[in-house]
Amino acid sequence: MSELEFSIDGEPATPITGWSLSWVDRSAGFAQLTDGTESISCLVEGAGSEWVVTLRGRRIPVTARTWRERVLAEAESSAARHAGPAEVQATLPGLVVAVAVRDGDEVAEGATLLTIEAMKMQNEVRSPRAGRVAAVTVAPGQTVSAGAPLLRIE
Amino acid sequence: MATSRSDPDPSLRKDGGQTDPPGPPFRRILIANRGEIAVRIIRACREMGISPVAVYSDADAHAMHVAMADRAERIGPPAPASSYLSIDAIVDAARRSGADAIHPGYGFLSENAAFARAVAASGLVFIGPPVATLEALGDKLAARRSVGAAGVPIVPGLLVPLMPTEDGGAPTELGEIRFPALLKAAAGGGGRGMRRVDAPEQIGPALASAGREAMAAFGDGTIYLEQLVAPARHVEVQLLGDQHGGLAILGERECSVQRRHQKLVEESPSPAVTPRIREQLAESARRVAGTVAFHSAATVEFLLDADGNHYFLEMNTRLQVEHGVTELVTGVDLVAWQIRVAAGERLSAAVLGAALRGHAIEARLYAEDPHHDFAPVAGTVTGWRMPDGDGVRVDAGIAADTVLPVEYDPLLAKLMVHAPSRPEAIAQLRRALDETLIGGVQTDLSFLRWLVDDPTFVEGAYDTDIVAQRWGRGPDLGEEERSLAALAAGEARRQAVLDVPRGPEPPAPGERAWAVTGRREAVMRRRPR
Repeated sequence: MSELEFSIDGEPATPITGWSLSWVDRSAGFAQLTDGTESISCLVEGAGSEWVVTLRGRRIPVTARTWRERVLAEAESSAARHAGPAEVQATLPGLVVAVAVRDGDEVAEGATLLTIEAMKMQNEVRSPRAGRVAAVTVAPGQTVSAGAPLLRIE
Repeated sequence: MATSRSDPDPSLRKDGGQTDPPGPPFRRILIANRGEIAVRIIRACREMGISPVAVYSDADAHAMHVAMADRAERIGPPAPASSYLSIDAIVDAARRSGADAIHPGYGFLSENAAFARAVAASGLVFIGPPVATLEALGDKLAARRSVGAAGVPIVPGLLVPLMPTEDGGAPTELGEIRFPALLKAAAGGGGRGMRRVDAPEQIGPALASAGREAMAAFGDGTIYLEQLVAPARHVEVQLLGDQHGGLAILGERECSVQRRHQKLVEESPSPAVTPRIREQLAESARRVAGTVAFHSAATVEFLLDADGNHYFLEMNTRLQVEHGVTELVTGVDLVAWQIRVAAGERLSAAVLGAALRGHAIEARLYAEDPHHDFAPVAGTVTGWRMPDGDGVRVDAGIAADTVLPVEYDPLLAKLMVHAPSRPEAIAQLRRALDETLIGGVQTDLSFLRWLVDDPTFVEGAYDTDIVAQRWGRGPDLGEEERSLAALAAGEARRQAVLDVPRGPEPPAPGERAWAVTGRREAVMRRRPR
C-alpha cells in the first residue's frame, strides 16, 4: 500500500515514532501500544480509510487514506457543498417533543428546528445552514430512528 | 463477614423452631427492573437458592438480565410507562410466573406506594419498606417537617410549598432565607424540578418552569425553597432494618462527584468524615429512621458543609445504585439481607456490629459523552472488556454487541475497587480503568481516567462542584494521543490488507460486522484491475 495520510478532526496528524501496536484480541479490536517503557491499552475499530481509536476512554476518529483517496474525497465534498438542499436527519433515535418551524420559514444557520428527547435528555436539532424550511415530515409525539429524515433546508 | 444466614431465636422462626435447616426465604422472586441491578439481584437469588424471574419490555428482549433468569415475562412495549412503570403488567407477570415476592431494584417503581400496595393486595411480598413508610417519605416537604421536629438539622428554608403570586412574580413570604437558594420539587429526586435562584426576583420565572418540569416528571408540581449550601459535599448513611426493631448503621458514602445533580463516583468511607462527624451522622440517621416504621434497606442523604455541619436532604427507602461500596467495606450483602428481612428474619449480630474495613470506590460507566456536557449517547456497544483481578468488582448489565435502548438510563456498568487504604484504592481504580475498553460509543471512561489523577480528588478535598469547575468539557485532545491514534489506525489499516488470505466468507458467530466489512474492502482493493 502506498503511504498513508492521517487526519483527526480535519487536522493533519503524524503517527508517533518509536511505538508499536500488538493485538491482544484481533477480532474484538483490543490492542496494546508500547514504546518499550510504557504500555497503553486501546481499541481499534473501522475499515478502509475511516477508523476510531479509543485511548484512555476517549474515542478518537482517525482518517487514514492514501493521497489518491484524499483527492477523490475532497472533490466529492466540494461538489456536495455547492449543490442544492440540505437534508436534516435525526442523529439519535428518540421522541420528537417539539417542532419549532413550519414549511416556508426562513431560518439562520444554527437556529433551533426541533427538539428530540432521547435517554431522558432533550436534544435540540439545529439548522446546518441558512435557508428556507421545506418538507417537514415529523410532528410532536412521533418516534424517529437515527438517520430518519426530519426536514429539508433549501 | 455477615453474609452467612442469621440465626434467629427459634421461637420466632416461621417453622416454629424445627431442627431442619431453614430453606430459602422465598421460592421464586420476580425482579421488577432491568440492566445491571436486575443482574445483581439475580445473582443474590442464585446464591440463596431462590429462582429468579426477569421482566422485559420489547426493547430488552435480548438483554442480559433476561438471558440470566430462570424465566422471563414480557411486560409491554419499550416506553417505561407501558412496561417497567406499569403496576398492572408487573403484578400480572408475577402471578403468571408463580413468584412469591417482588424485588423492585432502584428507580422505576421502587418507591411507589401504590405499587407496594398492589403487590401486597395480590398476596405477594414487596421486598422493601412498609407502604406507610413509602407514603410518608414520598413527600420531601412533609419529610423535612417531621425530620426537623425529630431534632435533625435540615437545610434552612421553607417548610411549606412556594406559591406563585397572581402576576407570576416572586412570593413575598420568604422568612430569613439567604440567597443563592434552590427551588426543589416536593415529589422530586434526580435533580428534576431543581433551579438555582440568585435573588428573590428570579423566583417567579424559575418557579413556573420548575413546576412544569416536576409535574411532567412526578405528576406533582409542588415546589419549595431551600438555601443553597455551597461549597458542600454529598454524604449519605446506609441503613438496614429488620421487622423486629433491629437497625444496622453501615457507615457513610461520599457521593460528591456529580453531574446534573446525579452521581458518577462514590466512595466509603468519606475522606471528609472524621470519627466525630461519623457519630453525628449516625445519630441523625437513627433519628430520621425513627420518624417512620422502617425496615429493609434505606439511605439517609445529607449535605456536609465546609465546617463539618450536616443537614438532612432526604431518605430513600430502596437499594441505591452505589450500594456495592458499602457491601465491600462492611462485608454485608445488602440485597440478600433485604430478601431475608422481607421474609421476617432478624438481622444477625454480625450485621448489627459490622465495622468499616478498608476503602472502596465505585466508578459508574455511562453511555455519555463527557466532552459534550455528559449528553447521553445512543448506539451499539461493540467491544467490551471489563477489568478484573484483586480487589475489583464489576456489576454490569450488558456485554459486547448490545444495542442500547434509548428509553432508559444509560448506565452500562459499575466498576468497584476495595483496598486497605484510600491511596491504594485509587491506584487500584486507575489500574482497573486502564484495563477497561469499550467500543462503539463514547462513555464517561475518559472523565473517570482523568478524575483518578486530579489533585483535589486524590487529596480527597473535593465538593459537589468538582465536575463543573475542574472538568468542564475536559482537556483538549493532546498531541501524544493524536499521534498514538494515528499510529494505531495506520497499523490496523495496513494489517487488514496483509492478513487476507482469500475471498470474503460469511462471518463467524460473534464476529464484529466491521471486521467482516474491513476484510471485504481489503479484498476488493487487492483485485487486479
